Amino acid sequence: MTATGTEGGDQAILPEAPAPARRRAWWRALLRDRAAAPAMLLLAAIVLAAILAPWIAPHDPSANSRAVMQPPAWTERGTWEYLLGTDSQGRDILSRVLYGTRLTLLIGLVAVGIGGIVGSALGLLSAMYRRIDPWIMRLNDMMLSFPAILLGLALVAVAGTGVLPVIVALGIASIPDCARIARSIGIGVMGQEYIEAGRAVGLSDLAIFRRYLLRNSISSIMIFLSLRFGQIILIGAALSFLGLGAQAPASELGMMAAQGRDTLLFAPHIATIPSVVIFVIVLCANITGDALRDVLDPRLQT
Amino acid sequence: MVDPVLSLRDLDVRFNSDGHQLRVVNGVGFDLMAGQTLGLVGESGCGKSVTSLAIMRLLASPPAEIAGGEVIFENRDLLKLSKREMREMRGGRMGMIFQEPMTSLNPVYTCGSQIIESLRRHSGLTGKAARERAIELLDTVRLPSPEKRVDDYPHQLSGGQRQRVMIALALANDPTVLIADEPTTALDVTIQAQILDLLRDLQERTGTAVLLITHDLGVVAETCQAVVVMYAGTVVERGEVGAIFADPQHPYTVGLMAAVPRMDALQGRLTAIPGSVPPPWERVVGCRFAPRCPLADDRCRNERPTLREIAPGHEIACWKAPIEGVSATGGQS
Repeated sequence: MTATGTEGGDQAILPEAPAPARRRAWWRALLRDRAAAPAMLLLAAIVLAAILAPWIAPHDPSANSRAVMQPPAWTERGTWEYLLGTDSQGRDILSRVLYGTRLTLLIGLVAVGIGGIVGSALGLLSAMYRRIDPWIMRLNDMMLSFPAILLGLALVAVAGTGVLPVIVALGIASIPDCARIARSIGIGVMGQEYIEAGRAVGLSDLAIFRRYLLRNSISSIMIFLSLRFGQIILIGAALSFLGLGAQAPASELGMMAAQGRDTLLFAPHIATIPSVVIFVIVLCANITGDALRDVLDPRLQT
Repeated sequence: MVDPVLSLRDLDVRFNSDGHQLRVVNGVGFDLMAGQTLGLVGESGCGKSVTSLAIMRLLASPPAEIAGGEVIFENRDLLKLSKREMREMRGGRMGMIFQEPMTSLNPVYTCGSQIIESLRRHSGLTGKAARERAIELLDTVRLPSPEKRVDDYPHQLSGGQRQRVMIALALANDPTVLIADEPTTALDVTIQAQILDLLRDLQERTGTAVLLITHDLGVVAETCQAVVVMYAGTVVERGEVGAIFADPQHPYTVGLMAAVPRMDALQGRLTAIPGSVPPPWERVVGCRFAPRCPLADDRCRNERPTLREIAPGHEIACWKAPIEGVSATGGQS
């Protein structure tokens, strides 16, 4: 059972290409997906626009003007000066949307990141070490019974208003849900025979956790997180609406929608435009999350 | 006589559930000789899989608890090793194959990378050398075009092919002992024969001792040199394959053999052993097989028989042994 003498021959046969080829294949598969490709491109465009907001915004997002509640450019009374019109204080909606998207995405991503990482870690540890499971889960239930909005209020009371307490509150509020989901997914994975087989190969707990439990749970957890991303943006909007979160001159999509509520009847675009942007972001995130799962999970490939 | 590479001495395994102690394995002992294939036989729930997992110390604790006994491997008691030392053993000195090839491989990694992982862990092989060794191993287990298969994910392979990969994985670091827990049960008959052939062939080449756990006496007759028959967590009979198949002594072994369809008895019904295995929570004073045994008397019901030698290399735990006139085909007419 030695390889001596065949080395030269083996090298000729050894296909060194497959690894990079597969890596290229997954995004190619993603681009072939009819629903995912446009959703991803749109999402990428929105993210890019948000990042580039300081350079591409036509106006100062917090500068007032006399042109109050001007409708978008394509309507009868609209002007090209204000492409998406202005709000009740005469601020350019396009600029505010660009800056607002920034903040909204930041809140969503960081909160999902906190909730996802801490929640998955707790949930998967619970699934792996059944001894600590009851403790983690009781702690979890306590957190679960605490409403996100109330937690946000409490944090704001302690730390003052601002985006950061909101992000932290939403992140913490996402932990218990994510831990629950991760735990149930993890328990399913731990029951699989390959976990035992992995141990039979002499792998350490860390390797089992990382290469077996995490890798086999992550695609399902990602789906949950991509849905949760949408929810968080909406709760973040609700917190802004309550006057927590982003404060006045800064713009945030949820806050903009809330402010437009007062003028919904005679200037509907003020509330509608940020709402549509939220809708598009959440929808694209969900579709992309779904498609990513399909592509990244080798079991679903044929 | 060669030395045993793996010796079990009075292994006791208990499961603690809701304050009850279930004695699943009671005083099981046997010797696995170098280069030998030992069949561990018994019906479902008799504790054979638990025994094999206990040897590898893979039982989840809680609920399982190894309450006593010794597992001597390479002059060391595995039950006394630290977790780290035990991890070195698993996959290194001892390999294991499982029943379900469809679910025993990690679905998110290629077959090759799982073998490479084990090679890196135990043999210190990395990079190209590890990859070449993995391909070589896949070739050894007769997986067609191994240099392509090495990059395949488990779901791209059939059940038989996956079991070959499992065997390659178990043998990656030239283990002294290979534990095969019903390796062919989940495969169809033609593939079963191929896998058994492969195991036998590999054993001849590498000299690995194999502990084959099965409920299939046909498999035992075909592949094993020695047999241990388990019933309800205890060893009831052990010895050379030839001796036990020619002259089974424990009524349970006799019953098992009578329950196997045979080519030379084409007529009549197969004999079943009446009743079922006593559940582990049931307190049994005497012989555990007594309630189902046609020969049982008061002594059997009140005193537990221990293993004793009735012929060289043939031990049996039964008060009635040696029995005369009951042959393997005795139940068939």
